[in-house]
Amino acid sequence: MSDPIVSVRDISWRAGTTAVLDRIRLDVRPGEFVAVMGRNGAGKSTLLDIIAGLRAPTTGDVLLDSRALSEQPSHERARLVAHLPQTIRTDLSIRAEALVLMGRYVHATGWFESADDRAIAAEAMRRCHCVQFRDRIVSTLSGGERQRVLLAACFAQRPRVLLLDEPATFLDLDQQLECFTLLREEAGQGMACLAVTHDVNLAAAFCSRLIVLAERSVAFDVDAATALESPEWLHAISPRLDVHPAPNGRRWVGYR
Amino acid sequence: MISETDRRARTWISVSIVVFVAAALLLPFVGPTRLDYHNVWRRQDPDWSIVSHLRLSRTLLALIGGGALAVAGSLFQSMLRDALATPYTLGVSTGASLGAVISIALNWHVAVGIGGVWAGAFVGAAFVLLIVMSAARRERQLSVSGLLLAGIAINSVCGALILLVHGLTGMSQSFAISRWLIGGLDAIEFSTLGLYAAIVGPLTVAVIAQARQWNLLAVGEAWAATRGASVSRSLVKGYLAGSVLAAATVALTGPIGFVGLVVPHLLRSRLGGDDRIVMPCAFFFGGVLLASCDALGRVLLAPAEVPAGAITAFIGGPHLVWLVRRGTLR
Repeated sequence: MSDPIVSVRDISWRAGTTAVLDRIRLDVRPGEFVAVMGRNGAGKSTLLDIIAGLRAPTTGDVLLDSRALSEQPSHERARLVAHLPQTIRTDLSIRAEALVLMGRYVHATGWFESADDRAIAAEAMRRCHCVQFRDRIVSTLSGGERQRVLLAACFAQRPRVLLLDEPATFLDLDQQLECFTLLREEAGQGMACLAVTHDVNLAAAFCSRLIVLAERSVAFDVDAATALESPEWLHAISPRLDVHPAPNGRRWVGYR
Repeated sequence: MISETDRRARTWISVSIVVFVAAALLLPFVGPTRLDYHNVWRRQDPDWSIVSHLRLSRTLLALIGGGALAVAGSLFQSMLRDALATPYTLGVSTGASLGAVISIALNWHVAVGIGGVWAGAFVGAAFVLLIVMSAARRERQLSVSGLLLAGIAINSVCGALILLVHGLTGMSQSFAISRWLIGGLDAIEFSTLGLYAAIVGPLTVAVIAQARQWNLLAVGEAWAATRGASVSRSLVKGYLAGSVLAAATVALTGPIGFVGLVVPHLLRSRLGGDDRIVMPCAFFFGGVLLASCDALGRVLLAPAEVPAGAITAFIGGPHLVWLVRRGTLR
């Protein structure tokens, strides 16, 4: 088994006097597609932010590619990790392509991005089904269209770790499936993906590993392939969830 | 291969440079006194020195000053992601004004080798910057709404103090203060202009050179940080640079704030939000706008002069409202 690319070492994080995360430990290896789940306020986004270097943990540290995160300047970190935010400001007056090209910030050296950078951005936009928005002003895009452009910017960054804070937000069902298929492909090629999501069925179908945060720590850490055979982890998300047999012979999560 | 953005940028920046140079060459000839062009050509006084000394220094001051204020305005708008962020709303300019007014009131003509008004403006701006930044700093992060609120609060305190100082001074200082507060341009010594250009020039270039970082920050601080920019360092550098640009300019021209708000907005509505294009154009067009307004002010009600600050507000204000109304500005 390969060495972990992300290694979370006893992370705690408090907001004022409230402990949000308490001594979290977590290793993620290249090729893993991890769904981070849990109720509102469980600390999912906080955990992603800490791994992305956006928040400093109160105690503990994160190793990225075996180096302490706190010792890596942001331009080195950005070559390893891309972060898809939950949302960005919606009134941006730049073209969608310019937003995607921002993913090339650490790679591009010139005043304007090179032809190579633009080719990489175009490829990322094609994969995220947003080439057709290339010349649209970001503020005129719908929520789902914008989300695809943001994902393309993360791909254009060519990272080794993708941190996705609710990547399926605003996406229609077809695009949610496309998005998770794409992320599974990326993981298949050696990317480590961590995605915060509330959709247990998407997570169980596409991810390789499911993590449920509850009570300030990792309450469940299960293999997605067998997750629906022992559904205790579901009850940490909601007591009203249950596993049912689907008509196609697979199992799926239904509501009570 | 040149991309579309690249070509657009080159066209706009070239056009703005051409207009800038044309303004520098032509505007000195605009004024209330009818010039004898033969005398100018043969370098004979008084016509030659009116053009080469009085009007040229004044035009250059307007060109550089308007440019500096417009660049500082676009910088603050990108950094704070707020349409209203300018050296004015952040209190820096009013702080500089207070400093300048105090030095006029105390008759400090020369302090530490440079003009007393200039020194006063810098101290005032630095003081306000310090207060606003420490008020808005929480958990090692600067909060945007905190900066704007603190800026507006400090703005009104400084405004009140200016009134107070103004009221307490004698007749002659009081006249000088009102004259300064109107925000007009005047002929200045070429040595002062040189010093001013030596501060503003490199600083403007340094700010524009970081345009890719301002673009990232305009999307969001988290976005910028995870794309690889060093956010805190950029923000501190940006505040310092923008404040020095504003303070140095306000010290020489008085408070002519509108350029910093209106020029970046007009450009963004036409060119989009890429600071690599907006910032250089803001410098050149900002300068041209202020210099043209100043030239217009010289002839509009001649022999009386309408201050350039008033003309910019008369032209820029309605235009801005019209753009908002039309929905081109968001």
